[in-house]
Amino acid sequence: MSYFRVNNNCNGCLACVENCPAAALDFVDQNNGRTLKHNMTKCARCGQCWRVCPQSAIEFQHLLVGEWDDVITLDLIHCRVCGEPLYSAAYLQKMESQLDSAGEALCPKHRQSDAASKLLHSKSGAK
Amino acid sequence: MIVGDLKPLEEIVSAIKDFKQVLVLGCGSCVTVCLSGGEKEAKQLGRDLSQIRLYQGPPPKFVVGSILRQCEKDLVNEYQEIPSGTDAVLSLACGAGVQTLADAYEPLPVIPALNTTFLGASDKPGTWTEKCKGCGDCILIHTGGICPIARCAKSLFNGPCGGSKGGYCEVGQGTPCAWTQIVARLKKMDKLHCYEEIRTTKNWKPGGAAGVRRRVRTGLADSSNKSEPNKI
Repeated sequence: MSYFRVNNNCNGCLACVENCPAAALDFVDQNNGRTLKHNMTKCARCGQCWRVCPQSAIEFQHLLVGEWDDVITLDLIHCRVCGEPLYSAAYLQKMESQLDSAGEALCPKHRQSDAASKLLHSKSGAK
Repeated sequence: MIVGDLKPLEEIVSAIKDFKQVLVLGCGSCVTVCLSGGEKEAKQLGRDLSQIRLYQGPPPKFVVGSILRQCEKDLVNEYQEIPSGTDAVLSLACGAGVQTLADAYEPLPVIPALNTTFLGASDKPGTWTEKCKGCGDCILIHTGGICPIARCAKSLFNGPCGGSKGGYCEVGQGTPCAWTQIVARLKKMDKLHCYEEIRTTKNWKPGGAAGVRRRVRTGLADSSNKSEPNKI
């Protein structure tokens, strides 16, 4: 849903389109209808549309306090000891293919303790 | 953009210590981008100011908020609520934002948390440098796009002073000599003749010497349909 929202008072007068300093508003007339268009990447959120609207139709609060958009959801790999999130599954796959070996899912702390215990084992084995 | 720096914590504490509830209000524009007065900094300041050891008596209660631009009175009036019980506002905006809030919320005290420092730009991540003094009569066309008013310590108009050494200014701190930079730029642009031209004494009236500057955009200034509660 657009962050630029109007209420039922909008009568399509285009005062907002004509007065937008950022050229972030536009309209299309087609098939007996008028569509008001907004481009968030151009919008400066200056409030000029809200100021000039003769119908008080612009609900500017949606441009001030918006909702969060989901961008991406990734499968995560966690440390096998403490469960701390480490990296994405796709990253692990890429790393394993580059290293040509299976990666061990360990956080820096447990990687260190794992290396230390392996060293201890190898030393006691040597004795 | 407008660059600001957070005031020392002790100075802020001494300004707010006698209030019961303070609204710490960030500004979502310039000072957000220069990492000094946005929502994150407002939250951090609220946490820092909540430390009991900073006060002899009970500390104020802090409520943290942020609005896109504190320098637009009609938007502030319409969309920024003052929580019940608030007896002071601590603004993390530039001086323009602080004054706008003071007008909008009169007689509520509005206290600046930042020192507004300069109009600048970011040359590299995390570094902002002064680039413009807002002198009202731009001469960048003659100086290769480098402002001698903002970037020369003496705001010289016709070349460097004797304090220019090896491309650096005598004020130190690794400050480049603006005129060395201008000459180098003009040379690259094949416009060294601009350097030969003598600039006459600057008229500082457009720079603020003639009083408060105001810009009225015909056709827009009287077009607002929103009421202006504090209009004088």
